[in-house]
Formats: sequence, C-alpha cells, structure tokens
Amino acid sequence: MKHIHTIPSIGIVANPASGRDIRRLTSKALVFPTVEKINMIERLLGAFGAVGVEHVMMMPDMVGIAAGLIRAIDGHRAQGLQPWPVVDFVPMPLTDSPRDTQEAVRRMRAAGVAVIVVLGGDGTHRIVAGECGDTPLATLSSGTNNAFPDLREPTLTGLAAGLVATGAVPVSEAARRNKLLRVRGSKVDEIALVDVCVTRQMHLGARAVWDPATIAELFVTFAEPDAIGLSSIAAMLEPVGREAPRGSWVRCATSGLGVLAPIAPGLVTPVGIDEHGLLAPGRPMQIRTEQGCIALDGEREIELNGHQTYSVTLELDGPLTLDVPATLAAAVRRGAMVRDLIRSAAP
Amino acid sequence: MTKTLTREDLLKAYRTMRTIREFEERLHTDFATGEIPGFVHLYAGEEASATGVCMNLTADDHIASTHRGHGHCIAKGVDPVGMMAEIWGKKTGTCKGKGGSMHIADLSVGMLGANGIVGGGGPLVCGTALAAKLRNQPFVSVCFFGDGASNQGTIFEAMNLASVWNLPVIFLAENNGYAEATSSKFSVACDNIADRASAFGMPGITVDGFDFFAVYEAAGAAIDRARNGGGPSLVEVKLSRYYGHFEGDQQTYRAAGEVQNIRDTKDCLMQFAHRVTSSGEIAQAELDAIDAEVKALIDGSVVKAKSDPKPTEADLLTDVYVSY
Repeated sequence: MKHIHTIPSIGIVANPASGRDIRRLTSKALVFPTVEKINMIERLLGAFGAVGVEHVMMMPDMVGIAAGLIRAIDGHRAQGLQPWPVVDFVPMPLTDSPRDTQEAVRRMRAAGVAVIVVLGGDGTHRIVAGECGDTPLATLSSGTNNAFPDLREPTLTGLAAGLVATGAVPVSEAARRNKLLRVRGSKVDEIALVDVCVTRQMHLGARAVWDPATIAELFVTFAEPDAIGLSSIAAMLEPVGREAPRGSWVRCATSGLGVLAPIAPGLVTPVGIDEHGLLAPGRPMQIRTEQGCIALDGEREIELNGHQTYSVTLELDGPLTLDVPATLAAAVRRGAMVRDLIRSAAP
Repeated sequence: MTKTLTREDLLKAYRTMRTIREFEERLHTDFATGEIPGFVHLYAGEEASATGVCMNLTADDHIASTHRGHGHCIAKGVDPVGMMAEIWGKKTGTCKGKGGSMHIADLSVGMLGANGIVGGGGPLVCGTALAAKLRNQPFVSVCFFGDGASNQGTIFEAMNLASVWNLPVIFLAENNGYAEATSSKFSVACDNIADRASAFGMPGITVDGFDFFAVYEAAGAAIDRARNGGGPSLVEVKLSRYYGHFEGDQQTYRAAGEVQNIRDTKDCLMQFAHRVTSSGEIAQAELDAIDAEVKALIDGSVVKAKSDPKPTEADLLTDVYVSY
C-alpha cells in the first residue's frame, strides 16, 4: 500500500547538471551556478511557507545543491524568520546521472506529492515527464536556452504550486495539458516535450545541438516565435501554439531559402529549409536521416547507424503543468490571498 | 563550426588513449619493483581528457601540465620512449634523465612541462598566450589543472589576467574528485569548478571526461573560440583516476569497489571502442592491431630504459640555465 502524505506536500527536482553545456562556448549563454539554483529553492520555500505548505520532498544530489540547501535552512531557522516547510531529502541511492531524477520523481509520486517543482532545462523536464504521470509540474528554467519551462521569478511559481498543494486553487483551474513527441525504434521508446532534432553529427559528443548547419530534420510539439532554441526554426515558418492539437516538422537544407531563427542566446542565424508541414496527432512520421544522431529536447541521445528505422509521433496526453498567471488569478478570485493581519500577528 | 572526425582521426585518438593507458599500467607494475627513482602520479582513467583536448591543438600551441602529466605529454606528441627513459632517470630521456616524471618538458611539441607545483601552470600559459597575441600568431595555450589546483591563488590570478588581457587560454580543469586524499566535496566550495568562470567574465562548461567525443567537441569549441580572438574559457572535465594520488597511496579515502565500478561502466577506451565499432566506422580487428603495436612500443621502451646509461657527474652542471 502506498504511503500518502496527509499534509500538503510538494516535490522539488533541481537538476545539478543543467546550465553548463557547450552552448556557453558557442553562444552567449552563461553558466548557471549551483548557488543560484539553491537560491531559487530558497525563494520557493518562502512562498510555500507563506501559503501553508508544511512539507517538501527534495531530490538529493552529489554536487552541492542539497548540501547548500541544508546550510540555507539552518541559517534561515537560526534567524527566526517566517517558517519554511519541513524539507526531507528523498532517501535513495545516487548515480550522478539522469537516473537520479527518474528515481526521485517515482518516489515523490508514490508518496503522493500534490505538485512537483522542476528546476532545469527542456531536457530535465523531459526526464521528469517520463515518470510523473498526472502529478502536475511547476516548471522553472535554470538556464537560458529553454522553451518548455517558465523563465519566471521562483517566488511566484512557489506561490502557485503552494496554492494548488493546499487546495486553495483546484488543479482543474491551475493546470494545462501538454503535448509530447514519442520516438520509436526497434529498441527505443523515448519522449520529447518540445523538439526532436535529427542532426548529421555522428556522435553524441557534447550532447547539445549547437551548430545549425548540422540539422537535418526537426519535429516540434509547439513552435512559438518568441521562444528561444531549435523550435524557433519551425516557429518562423508557421507558428503552432502550445495548446493547438497539432505539431510541425521541418526538413533543413544547406542552401536555398531559409529563415532567421534565434537558436541560442545571442545567436540568431539563417537556417536553410527544404520542406515543412504540420504534424497530426497519432500519425507516425519516419525519420529519413540514416547517419547522425537524434536529439531529444536539444540533447543528442540516440546514434543513428543506418541499421534501424525510427518514427516520431505527436501525442496530446503529455504532462500537466501549472499555468502560474492563471493559478494566481484564480487564487485572487477565490479570496485565497486575503489574510487577517491582527490574527496573523497574535502570539 | 562542427569538425568531423575522419577514420584516421578516430584511429589516432584510440592509439593515443591506448598508449597512455599502456604506459601508465606498465609504470604501475614496474614502480612496485623499486627500480624507478622518484615519484609517479598515474593518469590511467583520464585518457579521454588529454586526448580530446590535444587533438584540437597543433605543435605551435602550448600546454602546461601537472604532477599527473604523462597523459598530457603523450597526447601533445612527446615521444613515449624518451619519456620512459626520463622516468627511469636515464641520459636518453626527454630531459636527459634529470627531470623525471614531474618535470617532463618538450618545447619542440609545445609541451611546457609537467609541474610539481600545484596550480603552477596558469601563469605559464598566460605567458605563452600573451606572446602569441603580441606576435599576432593564431596559437592557443591550455592549462591543465586539477580540483586541488582549482583552489590555488595562482589559478585565480591567471584566470583574471587571461580575462583582462583577453588571452587565448583554455583553463582545463580535470576534476577527478580528489586533491591527494581529500575529496573535492570537502574542499571545493562551489562543487562545480565551471561555476567559477563567471566571476572572471569568461564562459564555463562541464563535460563528461569519460567520453572522448564529448571532450573533443567541447574543447574544440573552446579552442576555436580562443584561436579566433574570443578570449579565455574554463572547461571542467569530470573524470576519475584509476590509481592513487601517487604510486603507493593506499587510497583508504575511496569507497570499496569505486574504481572497479568506473572501469566496468565508464572506461573511456571501452566506451570509445564500443561507439566506433557499433557505428561501423572502425573494425575491432583494427583496434586489436593498435593494442598489439602499442604494447610492443611500451615493452620496447622499458627494455631500452633499463639498459640506457644514467647521467654522469659531468651532466650535473649542464642544462641548468637556458640562454636566450
């Protein structure tokens, strides 16, 4: 039988590896340091405490986020400031790999957390989405090159997550359903939340797709002209909204006409286009490229050696994510932000 | 721009990594006999780092190495036969047998030297990089250093200098998790050395040091950036050493099975061989042939080193100063 928390509980996943890839050398993205991630979690905890969240399940790690957070909690407590929720680290073995994120999310879900807050990039959210089921995610970009998570002040994301966790705002008013792309091969079944990019680069190498000249094919769940990254290539051809029941695909060319796309911070470059079209849900499209790599949400994950075929299918039943503006607006409508200052100040 | 690795590049990368591994494994065995003078600090396990970096360099580019420098030397093109003689303290060695393991240098291939001073390489590469810049030469300099050196003032000073002078330097932090016997978890305040780059106004990235392809690509981007005038950067390579800080180190600070687990699951040579054979780029027989050739080379280097003459008393007063 599952152990379900009876007090409002929120999970936090912070990817220790995000914000440090090769794009800091090939574009103007900057390193996203561990101390900044810890500080973002402190801002979340402040918001959680203010709206009555009593318990947090935090993913542990080997590179300093957990250690820094323990120091921050001790310092906060010593100063006698507004209480934060109790933070428990998920008891689990660590591998210092994406498997840690998968395991942490599995355990948070089994414990019945109301919301999982994710700090990371598109790739981190992809890994969480593979395990979270219908537990809603509150997304936060810890990096500068992401389309899926919100680039938002964490205090506000924390408020929205806290209001949902405490029941002040129902999930039905707070969350929206996302799309996903499923990549299938004979031994492969993977998902992506924003884009599947087929690159002519032969090896997984430094993982991130950073050179537009190597892009052969692109499939996207949504394409917003004001989003940074690979999906912007599709967006500049034909925008597709996050909630539209379709995606799109592009086959790139090295000559001829192209579009100007902001594929990385400070890097706006023309990308040649051969053909493009819309992606209908449930209808697989074959990947044509035989030699290269398949990148999921911007990171090369599968090497193509010409011996296997792969398809990409748009699915409409991806993860739930909190719409922070909608959640906070609902909280105001419901009077959830009103406090009795005299009673609050009483000893 | 993405660089494509040719078959010849892949074979060269494998040969370099295998040469370093064979060299170090042989030293591990031979040092235990007590015949080799001085200390050796072995680079086994870290081969993808030196190889992935140095395959982006030319002989006119410079590197500064560390006390764990054999891998950097081999990857930069120093002759392993001369190196083995040097470590055995013989007159035929790279530095005529008077430097030993921690002072192997060969300026003819741009190798400024292994270095017994932890963090000593930073100021050296600022010098070579400044020279290249003042001469309008497209040459870069790479400073290899470890997680222990990452806490040294010399590295901070060098990063500051490289940044304010926009020097073509790559600070290449090989984070193997231990400074001698102290875990970096206790001694490196920010855990990720790459995080420190932003304090000096330069980009910093972290890369998997067990994966040659990852290091090659990331270091290539940093080197191209520096060569084109983009300035310095910090590349943190996360990896592990297979042996102790020095030969004889009992490694009581490491968990039981830690190294074996890495050898079994992450080894850079194992990963490389799997990748290039499964993609069909290289046949296993070609890798086997390289293994045999490298073994013969290292066996021969040891035989020669053992029989070569030692420096004489008269050699003590030569090569002490360099005339400019």
